[in-house]
Parts: sequence; C-alpha cells; structure tokens
Amino acid sequence: MPRVADRPGTRRDTWLAVACLGCSVALLFAPARWGLTVAALLRGSVLRPVALLQENAAQGRTSRSRLRAIVAERDSAAIAAQFLPALRDENRRLRQLLALRERVGPGVVPAEVLHQPLPTDGRTLLLSAGRAAGVTPLAPVVSPDGLLGVVTEVDEATSVAMTWGHPDFRASAVTADGRMLGVVAAAASSGSPAAELEFRALSYRDTIPEGTPVITAGLGGVYPRGVPIGVIAGIAREQEGWERVYRLRPAALPGIVPHALVLAAMVRDTVPAGAFGTGALPPVPFAEPEPARRIASPAARPDSARRRPRTQPDTAAARPRPPAAPARPDTTRRAPAPARDTAADPAPPPPSPPPPTDSAGPRP
Amino acid sequence: MIAQRATRLQFAVVTLVLLLAHFYLRPRLWDSRVAPDFLMVAFAALALRGSPGLGAFAGFLIGLASDALTPARMGAAALAYTVIGYLAAWARAVFFADNLLVYGAFLAVAVIARDAIVLLASGTTGGAFASALLVQAPLQGLTTAVAGVAVLVMLRGWFGIRLDA
Repeated sequence: MPRVADRPGTRRDTWLAVACLGCSVALLFAPARWGLTVAALLRGSVLRPVALLQENAAQGRTSRSRLRAIVAERDSAAIAAQFLPALRDENRRLRQLLALRERVGPGVVPAEVLHQPLPTDGRTLLLSAGRAAGVTPLAPVVSPDGLLGVVTEVDEATSVAMTWGHPDFRASAVTADGRMLGVVAAAASSGSPAAELEFRALSYRDTIPEGTPVITAGLGGVYPRGVPIGVIAGIAREQEGWERVYRLRPAALPGIVPHALVLAAMVRDTVPAGAFGTGALPPVPFAEPEPARRIASPAARPDSARRRPRTQPDTAAARPRPPAAPARPDTTRRAPAPARDTAADPAPPPPSPPPPTDSAGPRP
Repeated sequence: MIAQRATRLQFAVVTLVLLLAHFYLRPRLWDSRVAPDFLMVAFAALALRGSPGLGAFAGFLIGLASDALTPARMGAAALAYTVIGYLAAWARAVFFADNLLVYGAFLAVAVIARDAIVLLASGTTGGAFASALLVQAPLQGLTTAVAGVAVLVMLRGWFGIRLDA
C-alpha cells in the first residue's frame, strides 16, 4: 500500500517547506553571479548526462524532421559554390593588388539548442557546445535566419546564451542601407507581444519605412556587422519629440530555433553578405554613419541633400592626398577613406574600395 | 514490507522512464513550448504520493535543476516547484479525489501555476506575461495533462496512486 500523507502538515514538513522556500527566495535575490555559478556547477556535474541525452535527442529530431530543408539548402549552396573558385581567384588577385593580408578562415561552432519547458526558455538558451568545442564568452550566437544573442556562460560541454528576448540584451544596429544607427533591445513590456524587438535611440527627425531590414552595426566589439536582426514593423512610441522607438519584427525566434551557430572570434569582424536567410538583404555599404547621412530622405531635407555634393569635392581637394600605405590592414572601418580621397583625383579611379564584407563570399 | 519496497522500486523505475521521456522523447516532439512536460508528471506523482515536506523538497530540487538548464532567473523555478509541491501534497491529503480527471486537471493547473510564478519571479509583465500565460501555458498544461493521464492509466499500479475512474 503506498504511503500517502494522512496528516496535511506535520511540524517537520512545515519546516522543510519553509527551508526550501527560503533557499529559493535567497537564490532569487542573491547576486546573479552566484546563481549562475550554482547553475554552472549543476550543469557540469549532475545535469551533464541529462544535457548529453537531450543533445542526442535534439540531433535526432533535427536529422529527421529537417532533412528535406537541409537537402534544399545544400542544393542551393552547391549551385552557389560553382562560382566560388572564380570568386576566390579574383579575390586573391585583388588582395594581392591591394596588398591585403589573407583573410582568416571562418570559425563557426554549430550547436543544438536544448529547449526547456519553462516559459523563460526564450530568454536564455542552453547550447550543446561548450568550451571543449571552442565556445568563448561574449561569442555571438546566430541562426541561419539572423541574430539570436550572445554567449554568457560557458561550461565544458554546454554553454548558455542570452537571447534578444532577455531584458538585458542590447546590440548596436543599423538599417541595411547604413543610414540610421541605433540600439536594439527587447520590447518593453507595455502591451507588446512577446516576440518583438525595439529599435531605439533614433532621433525624432528620422523616419524609417516599414519593412526596412535592420542589421548589426558591428560597434561594440561583440556582434559582427551584417547579421540580420529583423525588419521594421512600425513605430512603437515617441518620447517628447526627442526620440522615436520602432518596433522590430525579429528575423530569428529563439523559442523555436532548433540549432544555432556560435561565431568564433575569427569571423566577428564581418559576416559575408548573403550568409543569412535567402539573401534578401542588400549588400551593406561600409561607410561609417555620419550625422549628415542619418536624414531619412533627401526630400525631407532638400537643402542638406543639395549641399553635400558641392562641399565634398571641395573638402577633398583641399586635403593633400596621403601616400599610399604599403600594406593596409584588413579592417573594415578604414574602407571609406580611399574613396573619399580619390574624389578629387583627376586620374582614373582606382579599384573600388573593398566591400564591407569579405569578397570571398558570393556577391552580386 | 516487501510489497512496499517493491512499490518504491516500481515508482523509481517509472520516475526514471519519465525522466528519460522528458529529456529524450520530448525534444523529438513538436514545438517545445507546448510539448508535454514529463518532468511535471513525475513530480506530481511524487508530490501526490508523499508528505508536504517531501513534495516541497522534491520541488526545490527539480526547480533547481530547471533553473540550471534555463538560467534566465535563478531561483524562479525552484520557488515555483517548491510551492506547487507543498500545495499538491497538502491538497491531496485534505480534499483531493482519487480520480483521473482530477489528476489531469491538477497537472494542467500545476503547469499554469508554475509558469505564472516563474514569469512573475523573473520580472515578466505586460504582453509577454499575458502571451505566455494565456497561450503557451494552457497548451502545455493540456498536453501535460493528457500525457500524465495516459501514463497513469498504463502504469497506475506502479505509481501507487489510488484512482476511482
């Protein structure tokens, strides 16, 4: 006969429940670092077999249910790869002409996402790759559709990523045309649906049409430039004529994504265009966002739009042209410099500046 | 004594099977946000079978494990499972009917209550809270209830829970 509690609460039961409640509350209000340490200890010890088991299951599910999609993607990639040798050869020759270093190969760690039943699962993701696979803290986590988040905790075999759904998530972002620079964060709780982002810190005078893609700006040193974050879905709110906040429909949904890619440090500089989704995003110009270029449309500010072409050649002509450096480091931030200097040069223009993303990737 | 030991062994086997189902079968099912929570089924069986103190302690341990696997806010799941475990054992001793439907309803309510406590403890409010609590939690509660009742019907002798219907 099974033992069923006949008395609803003995003194020992009450004390045990109070102790458990006290520990839970203490854990809840303890510094986050302590809680994460406890969690890392548990994941690395008693929960490690569980994580391995779930990883196997997730791999099994992925290999079965997504086989058709993977085959289609592989076919598309195979067609795209037919042009790769010619592009590589051209890229190598251009790099030699410009005296650029060879680009370091991509470092991407694939990982299964081990979803949990708790409702906060979309805020943090448990990934099946850890320190042993080369995952490091602050490594960006992406999916084929776009940005997911950043790695915050790394264990030996697993890691934890903070997704864009977390209240602490921030990423510098820019519209795909490079005009508007802002900060992306999880949507404020006031009536917004769960799976939504906000594009903040945009000046009131700027307007962004709906459907504009927003990508990571590459500022801050965490996320590489060019990772899709989402598309503009409308205006969320305006703050006293000073700031306008846009709603952003995310490109990747952390709550349902089956697997993710952790970008290693080697590829954090840029992401090849067309590496995400179906290549719907246009190539990103790699100019530094200037204050004058953040105006929404030339029609809105006709005087500024007219003035710019007149002043630029003058400014460029007044400036002496620096001697060409023998070896130019492969940094994307310096890409616009030669373009500006050559504006006043009457000689035939040199080859166009290197694109923001490495030209090894397929570009139209 | 031997029968009691055998029942405990059977219950341990069932719990192990449910744990395997949670971590190996559940990821293979559909969307993880609405897939049945086998861990909750095992936890409910344990809480309904034991004393309130045992239910609270088991809830604390299971919640701690859940927090470690989803560290959005450490301690939120531990608090939720502790409260549910204590209340489940207490309610069972006071007024629970031994009925399949009641057991299924308890599972659904437990999932929703856990989600509500976790969301509140982790600071989720507004639209995100409503969406998670009014859409995902009921769906997950429903699938968990169905799975729990099915498991209980198949293994009711091993669970050690008396059921009338």
